[in-house]
Amino acid sequence: MDKKLPVTCPSCEAELKVHSLSCDSCQTTITGSFELPLLIKLEQKEQDFIIAFVKSSGSLKIMAQELKLSYPTVRNMLDDLINKIVELQKINK
Amino acid sequence: MNKAIFNPFKYVAGAKSLILGILIILITAYIGFLSNTHFPDLISIKLCSDFPVLYFVLQSFSNWLIFSTILYLCAIIVSTSSIRAIDIFGTQALARFPYLIAAFIGFSDSINKFAKYILWTSLKIGEPISLSTGNFVIAISLIILTFLLTIWLVALMYNAFKVSANIKGTKAVVFFIIVFIVSMVITGYISKYLFAKFS
Repeated sequence: MDKKLPVTCPSCEAELKVHSLSCDSCQTTITGSFELPLLIKLEQKEQDFIIAFVKSSGSLKIMAQELKLSYPTVRNMLDDLINKIVELQKINK
Repeated sequence: MNKAIFNPFKYVAGAKSLILGILIILITAYIGFLSNTHFPDLISIKLCSDFPVLYFVLQSFSNWLIFSTILYLCAIIVSTSSIRAIDIFGTQALARFPYLIAAFIGFSDSINKFAKYILWTSLKIGEPISLSTGNFVIAISLIILTFLLTIWLVALMYNAFKVSANIKGTKAVVFFIIVFIVSMVITGYISKYLFAKFS
């Protein structure tokens, strides 16, 4: 089962930070306070959309064909994603 | 299934919807010509006397083109998205599909008799006509069907607008209503002009 990386606190819904990273090979553990990258804060389906967008060389027409959706539907999905990224960037500032 | 009936534009838009939509408009006009059913504005369905097929074609195309053109101009101003004219015109053409079904209503003898009955009983126009219970039931059923088809048409037009112009919420509703009212007035005038020209 794929475990979902939590990005917000289940208790107070504040944004989570990375506290520690560990190496499975030598058991080294690094601790600190690291910001989560912006892309990880997006939902899984939004991350999948970005991957599909890059893989289709940024062509919405190709994406529409592959997703079996109309061109304006895919363009609207991209517009929604752009708006969400802009909002997340504003929050991070 | 329901979503696809009311919003097929999630899956079909652009050139595909434009070609399909133009075909639908042409067939609607031709069936309207055969059944004497015309569409004197965006949503009205009325029975009419004999007119040349060109009258029905021009009327059907003006209903589509006037609404789509005003909608496109409005979308350019209001939408923050990069909209395409082919999506607006294509999806609006495809949205006219319910009226392809409505064009068949004029073939019904019951609806013709009912229209003559109403004209005689309420306005004393034409000749006295008796209406059987069967004819009455069929006519009322067809009137209900036209009402449902009109709701379907407006829902399709609204969803086509939302998808092709990427406008949501209250803004979408307000602009759709404004464009709809303006188009109703313009198409009404055009139909009056066509009616006078072809009478």
